[in-house]
Amino acid sequence: MMPDFTQTGRSEDAASTQNNNVPVVVFKNVSKQYGQISALTDISLAISGGVTGILGMNGAGKSTLFKIIMGKIRPSGGQIRLFGEDPWKNQSPYARTGFVPEHEKMHDWMTAIDFVTTFARLNGMTREEARLEAERVLTFVELADVMNKQIGRFSKGMRQRVKIAHALVNDPDLIVLDEPLQGCDPLARTSIMNVIRELGRLGRTVLVSSHILSEIERITEQIVILHKGRLLAIGNLHAIRDLLDQHPHKIAIRCEQPKRLAKDLIDIDEVTSVSIPAKDELVVETKHFGVVHNLLPSIIVKNNHHVWEIDNPDDNLQSILEYLTGGLP
Amino acid sequence: MSEESERSWAKLDRKATAIAEFTLRQYRTRLSTWVVLSVSVGAMMLLNLFYLDFMTTELRMNDNDGDSYDYDGDGYPTGQEILLGTDPFNELSYPSGVTPDPPSKYINEDDFDWDNITKDSFQSIGYDDDGDCVRDGQLVTDSQKDNNGNLIPCDIAVYYSNFSQVYIISTDGNVDEDPNEDKFGKEAIHRAYILSVGKMGIVYLLGIFLPLFLASGLIRNEMNEGTMHFMLAKPISRGEVLLYRMLGYLGIVWPFIIALCALMALITGFLGPGEGLFRFSDLGVWVSICFAAMLVSMVYGMIFCVFGILWKQGMVLAIILAAWELGMAFVSVLAGGDTYIQWFSVIGWGLMIVDIGAALNWQDLPILIEMGNWHGGNPSENSGCYYQFNEAYDICDSEELPGTEPLEFFASTHGLGVGNWLAAIIASSVLLIQAFLAWVIGQAIFKSKEMEV
Amino acid sequence: MLHPESPVTGQTRMDSAWGSQTGDEDVHAKVTQASVDAGQIFEQEYKPWNGTLNPRWMRNWAILRHHLLGIVFKGHRPWGVVTRIVLLLIFLGSLSSAAMVLLSGVVGDSTLASMWGINRENMYGHVLGFFPRNIIFYPIIAAILVGGMISEDRSNGTSALYFSRPISRVDYTSMKFLSIAIILFFVIDGTLAVYYFAEVLVMGRGWSWILDTFPMFLLAAFSGLLLAITYTSIGLALSSLSKGRFFPGIGLLAVIMGTKTLAAIIEALFDKTILYVISPFDCIAHIAQSLMSIESTYQHPWTWSLASIVCINIGALYILTARVSTLEVTRE
Repeated sequence: MMPDFTQTGRSEDAASTQNNNVPVVVFKNVSKQYGQISALTDISLAISGGVTGILGMNGAGKSTLFKIIMGKIRPSGGQIRLFGEDPWKNQSPYARTGFVPEHEKMHDWMTAIDFVTTFARLNGMTREEARLEAERVLTFVELADVMNKQIGRFSKGMRQRVKIAHALVNDPDLIVLDEPLQGCDPLARTSIMNVIRELGRLGRTVLVSSHILSEIERITEQIVILHKGRLLAIGNLHAIRDLLDQHPHKIAIRCEQPKRLAKDLIDIDEVTSVSIPAKDELVVETKHFGVVHNLLPSIIVKNNHHVWEIDNPDDNLQSILEYLTGGLP
Repeated sequence: MSEESERSWAKLDRKATAIAEFTLRQYRTRLSTWVVLSVSVGAMMLLNLFYLDFMTTELRMNDNDGDSYDYDGDGYPTGQEILLGTDPFNELSYPSGVTPDPPSKYINEDDFDWDNITKDSFQSIGYDDDGDCVRDGQLVTDSQKDNNGNLIPCDIAVYYSNFSQVYIISTDGNVDEDPNEDKFGKEAIHRAYILSVGKMGIVYLLGIFLPLFLASGLIRNEMNEGTMHFMLAKPISRGEVLLYRMLGYLGIVWPFIIALCALMALITGFLGPGEGLFRFSDLGVWVSICFAAMLVSMVYGMIFCVFGILWKQGMVLAIILAAWELGMAFVSVLAGGDTYIQWFSVIGWGLMIVDIGAALNWQDLPILIEMGNWHGGNPSENSGCYYQFNEAYDICDSEELPGTEPLEFFASTHGLGVGNWLAAIIASSVLLIQAFLAWVIGQAIFKSKEMEV
Repeated sequence: MLHPESPVTGQTRMDSAWGSQTGDEDVHAKVTQASVDAGQIFEQEYKPWNGTLNPRWMRNWAILRHHLLGIVFKGHRPWGVVTRIVLLLIFLGSLSSAAMVLLSGVVGDSTLASMWGINRENMYGHVLGFFPRNIIFYPIIAAILVGGMISEDRSNGTSALYFSRPISRVDYTSMKFLSIAIILFFVIDGTLAVYYFAEVLVMGRGWSWILDTFPMFLLAAFSGLLLAITYTSIGLALSSLSKGRFFPGIGLLAVIMGTKTLAAIIEALFDKTILYVISPFDCIAHIAQSLMSIESTYQHPWTWSLASIVCINIGALYILTARVSTLEVTRE
């Protein structure tokens, strides 16, 4: 009830990070109900270090998950821990967290540097400290030249970058980004992705949710897939793909004489089926992806096939998502 | 340990100033802030125009005891004949060798001489300026010279009851019976103006409408727009956010109230009646008005902000509360502080503080009202009982002095049954407790609110 | 499936976005299979739409209906629950005079009947009595109704829905105006009518009585109509000025109660009623007093109050139409 007098300062965070082996985000059997609708059911996961992509269709529960992490809502059941604390009861984990929300509304009348400085001070910094940090992060997101302009005049991409800067100002260990690429043009997307990649490289824990799967693939292989409020998959995306037994991998080979190549490939034990969808294309299905790929080059060279292109059309997030969720609900 | 707690406090101060400053800057950018503040100032100036108009026109002077008239037609007004000992009803009896005085000399010639009214149980005051009591003659018998039986001839006895805090006036005949209407009226209306503008204008209207406009959306607007998270996803508790937002609100409202009260104090101080250039005696009342308005705006601000947190439609609750409080304000003014129901409001306590300020600063306020009601005891010129001026207590319709009615209407006692300073402390404490309770409830509600946006 | 308890740590490989070779072998850009050999121009035929549009009054009626039915039924404009409850309570409260007449008829008490029965003063009091109707009931319900009328549409983006249809802005504004005015009219004059007819029924009044009192009833109803229109104009003007949902209602209350309080202070102090010309309620009360031959409580001529109320309405409507016609229909 009383104001939280025991806020920890930043100098203590560095020390505790090194000593602590507690994972950054831990969910234990977390559920969230809205009346009859179950937004999240029995989610258990732990995340620590590097960039993790949170994926799912609309209504999968990604936003709900983020809202619970950031203390906007409270789980109906189960436990959530941020740096070992319950964020709903104790706000101190937010000293080490940065959050980039999805919605667009900001205080348009403020300049970028004002915005970042003002809210940086809520972490306990003095005005001078906050200003210095704000300049640092705005330079990091490449907004140094426009930092004295009003946010209302910024483009969407620039506004996103201001939000990211605001989230980074307290040098957080956990950065949560909810749909950071939404509404951004391709150039803005690239620069934001750069930033996220850089953060992961620096050892921070970054949680990103996005619909733009190809971009996620480019920065991380660690993913969490949610579907209809349940945890569907978690881990390295290639490993997950491997586990999808009922959907054998496809290898598409564009070559001159697919029938001849097919005959050679069918001898491999691991190949389950072969099909020729077009006159110069061969599609091989296999459950043992790596093995077949290792054998392919030698077979092609040995039998003197002319091959123009080898592709793995469904070793990507899109296919994983489709296979796991069964397409559109 | 002390170092750590020092650091926590320092950080608290930084967070508070950050949010308060942000709130102030946000107010600056909103048009509604400027509109509300300037309309308030404009309304006050409009009232001041009426005040100025009043203070610069002379009130009508009545000859309450009729001694400016020449009854016997001998060319000398009755008052002069009384003073010089001739018979005012006999045309043959007149002071010879003396120039007749103009009738105007005998209007308002016997004004109140009631200085230094104290709270003694008995006082003797009054002086017969025109001599129509003191002098022997047909007009006043010996028994009428000591009508009030206090063995002092031609005086006015004032009795004060500490228990009921009421003054009772008992007069001898023809003493102070032709008061100066302009002097009394200006003083009474001046005080009534300060009380009415202070209580109804500043404490009530500003005290309710400034928070309604400025404080209700403090948290609710941010929640609706989704910008609340920039403040919440930080190592700061929600109760603190509420408190610091309110600090920002007070940072704009309190200086405004202080400035407005100072301005009004200056205007009424310079324009007000009295001998000197500036009336310093009213300053205490303005201080109490300012203080009451500050407390009341704080309480309402917190309450309306909490209504906004509680509910998206919180404005409806706020409007209903505002209507209830208006009713309580009227009750407080009309009932004169004698009812208990105003204890169940916020505004009642605020108005009480102003009443206490008036009681402390204008010690002679109740007696002034009694003076006005007594008005010299004579019937007015227009009443048709003009000739029965011998009676100390009028038997005809008569009018109280101008300004008495408004002053009586707007002045109240605090009704707490304790001394003034103690009452002030009680009233201030009640308001502070109300604000604190509102904060406690508000932050508990805020903490349990789930934010979907 | 993986065990969720074990922490998912791991070093992900971060590659520069500018196309390094290592680590990119899993991602492949595919060239589209189907290629278009030649370009193509698509011929457009622009035909005028020869359909028939519903008459304007039908479109406007749809808007009005949407607003009015929303009070009671689902599927129309969602007035809040609180608004509806308060409206109901105030409506019931306004029926108190009719209830008193019914009571006096049932109980048969003649003093009650003479106190509450229909007469010039009581009808005036039903519409323009200060306490409790014009200090609590009517201002509050007006404030609550106008609250989000236009500002809600702007912030929800539904004004874009309106203006992308063949609806002019004037129509939009007029129908909103009408909807609030009609509701207020029901609360003020509808209850007046109930009061009147309760008297006719309960007291068994004949046609001669009705002939006598009906003109007064009409005048009182006209005053109520003037009250409804004025409050609506001011409230909607405020709603068009502000983006918030708080400001219009509170602003309306401030105008109604604030002006009255200030004028009352001046009257109490200086015995001058001239400031009442800025108070909309008092202007209407003054007009009604002169219309219904009730003793005037104001010193200045009633034509001044009439001029004032006309100016207030014109000013408010001007602000309203100017703002709505320049409204930018974006979500911000």
